[in-house]
Amino acid sequence: MAFLEWLQTTRPALFVAETLWAYPLFETLHTIGMTLLVGSLGLVNLRVLGFKRDLPIVGTLDFLPLAWLGFTLNLLSGLALFSSDAVYFWSSITFRIKLTLILLGGINAFLLGQSVFREARAGGTAAAGPGMRLVAASSLLFWLGAIAAGRLIAYLP
Amino acid sequence: MEILAWLETTAVANTIRTVPWIYPTLETAHYFGLALLVGGILLTDLRLLGFARSLPLKSMLGLLRFVWAGFAINVVSGSLIFIYGAAQFAGNPAFRLKMVLMLLAGINALIFTRAAAGAGDRWIASGQVPPSIKVVATASVILWLGVVTAGRWMAYV
Repeated sequence: MAFLEWLQTTRPALFVAETLWAYPLFETLHTIGMTLLVGSLGLVNLRVLGFKRDLPIVGTLDFLPLAWLGFTLNLLSGLALFSSDAVYFWSSITFRIKLTLILLGGINAFLLGQSVFREARAGGTAAAGPGMRLVAASSLLFWLGAIAAGRLIAYLP
Repeated sequence: MEILAWLETTAVANTIRTVPWIYPTLETAHYFGLALLVGGILLTDLRLLGFARSLPLKSMLGLLRFVWAGFAINVVSGSLIFIYGAAQFAGNPAFRLKMVLMLLAGINALIFTRAAAGAGDRWIASGQVPPSIKVVATASVILWLGVVTAGRWMAYV
């Protein structure tokens, strides 16, 4: 806790907390990053689940750089928002659930990417196995859960 | 502006005001819709602008179904949120800007439809995106990121 108290009194944290436009600016970047991350991973997941079969399954991974861009944007903007009120955010159960869901979503995205690449190397294209579908379905749930938890931080303990 | 005051006294507005979980749920739904709507639009625009070339243009344009689903979710959740605080939202400069940008994005989408038809079907099959379509896609990216930005600033202006 001493670290969090120190963190929120650092100059960058005070800047975010006290400058009128800084907090909404980072919130905006966080929302745009979310759209890039969840939008591009969502496409991969939906394709693996059997939607949009006219898209080559490996091709959907072309958008992974966009997912990374969104992730980086949200790691940085999220850190800025977190630092401005670190003790409060860390004490929020909803915030911790959000972090857990992001971790699970990240692990899932990695597993999914690996298996899609493996499929591609094996020459497979069309159908995804039940294991991959399970990963894709849980991935969608994790990311939607992360969005919901993020929205609910302000309302729940 | 009597209608705005009246909206806030309707049963719908009263229910949202008195049942604590409804408002956060509507906000969460609005973010799910945002990810579908803007996520789908950005992926399509980026494909038109030359990213993810291994995905066939025709199939990517088929993502519009998901975009419409997101739009429907957000019209419903957004309308309910508006009814709850009609007078306050209607006078909010960021909200007004958001509505103007959405209108422009809608007009831009109509221009896209006309330009796409005007260029014939061949460009979709060949993957050679005409410059006019690229201009429209760029405008779409800017307008939708503007909509997200204006939406986030509503709480601060």
